[in-house]
This record gives sequence, structure tokens and C-alpha cells, in this order.
Amino acid sequence: MILIHCPYCDEKRPEIEFAYAGQAHIARPVDPDSYSDEEWERFLFIRANPRGRHHERWRHSHGCGRFFNAVRDTVTDKFETTYKAGEPRK
Amino acid sequence: MSDALTRAEPVPSAPFVGDGISISLAAPMMRYSLRARQPQALETLLGVKVPKKIGAMEEGIACLGPDEWLLRAPIGSKIVGGAGLPVSLVDISERAICLVVEGPRSAEILNAGCPLDLDRFAVGRATRTIFETVEIVLLRLAEDRFHVEVWRSFAPWMWTALTTAAHH
Repeated sequence: MILIHCPYCDEKRPEIEFAYAGQAHIARPVDPDSYSDEEWERFLFIRANPRGRHHERWRHSHGCGRFFNAVRDTVTDKFETTYKAGEPRK
Repeated sequence: MSDALTRAEPVPSAPFVGDGISISLAAPMMRYSLRARQPQALETLLGVKVPKKIGAMEEGIACLGPDEWLLRAPIGSKIVGGAGLPVSLVDISERAICLVVEGPRSAEILNAGCPLDLDRFAVGRATRTIFETVEIVLLRLAEDRFHVEVWRSFAPWMWTALTTAAHH
């Protein structure tokens, strides 16, 4: 089983306590009214699908309950680092 | 709080005793979910220190998350209101029951379904975790004694899972 470091609990915890929550660092539109259909499409549906380093949101759902960000390699499934939500992209 | 005479518990009231293990239902207790951005607000309200580190437990108060605590107290304890302070206190006494897993094999039996490394889960720690697919709060009260807080509707399954693991 993969162990994931939770930046809030500050320890490595078993993978099944966590839930994947999509790509990280997708900013919500500040002024939604001004968004065109294309911009909405990009915001809602267009996601990166890299082979390698991927920034992702995870949630320690069966633990402290917090969302955080992680950098995971999609080839090796190794977690490079995890950091608290709101911290700059690593 | 339901009357003691009309309580119907979801698991047998007689403890399960096996080789190096006993599993029993703990007496009903008061449980409160405490939420606050600033733990100092809770300390002002309760008049006791609350643990700041997630996973720590002090005097019946377990820190489950950065802004979340679980308070467990004997029935009849006086819990203050909290009006005016930026805190939330929710009575969740009847949401969960507590199973006491005791004996030299307790860690081994819990590890039948719980993926935590219990060798590194010191006495006095408490955390929310998972047992197979059921969410539990696991508290280590002594080297050989754990409390498993499990939601009432999951309790019969939990009882069967633990006693089955204890048979093996």
C-alpha cells in the first residue's frame, strides 16, 4: 500500500484514507459574468494529462478531512511532495 | 440521551472473550464535536487545554483535524454552551458507540482491517481512520487497550468483523 504524507497530520498515512480530488491549482473565475463560453469550457472541462509530474488535489477524507495538494508522477505513481492548500505551486 | 431502560444497543452486551483478546461495548458516554478556527476560543470556553497536534489526546479531548476536536466525557458531565464565542459544539453522543478492544492481541486484530501502523501509534494517540471500508475513530488508551468509535449503524458489522478476526 502506498503511504501518503499528509501535510496537516504531518505523517505518512495509508493510501486508502485518502481521496483523489482532481487537478490542483485551477483558479475559479474572479468575475464569472465576464466569462465567455470558451473560457467556461476551459475552466470546467479542460485538464492536463501529463506523463510524469502532475499537480493534484487530494483529501485526507478518513483522517483530518483536509484538502491538500500533491505532486505525483503518473508513470511511477510516486508522490514527490505534498503541501497545504493555498501554498504556491511546487 | 435515551433512557437507560429503553436503550437498544446494536451489538451484544456480553463481551466477546477470545485467546488474548476481549471485545466489549463501552458504557454510553457524552460525545461532542468541537470546531473552532482558534483553539484558544475552545480553551476559554471549556477551561482546559486542548491538544494542538492532530492525533493527540488530552483529558478526553482528541484533536482530529486542524479545527476539529472530539470531546468524550462520562454521562452527566456539564458541558457549557459557548454563546458569543466563535466555536461550534455539537452533541453527537448517540451517533457512535464505542467498542473496547483489549488484550495482547488487540493491535493484531485491529490490523486485520485497519491499515495504520499500530507499532508507531503510541499510547495517548487518537485519530480518525478506516477499518476496511468503515470510518472509525481509533484511540489508544494503553499498550493493550484501544477504543474504537464507530457509527451506530455500522456497529453490528464492526462487531462481526472484529470477532471474526479474533477467531483466526
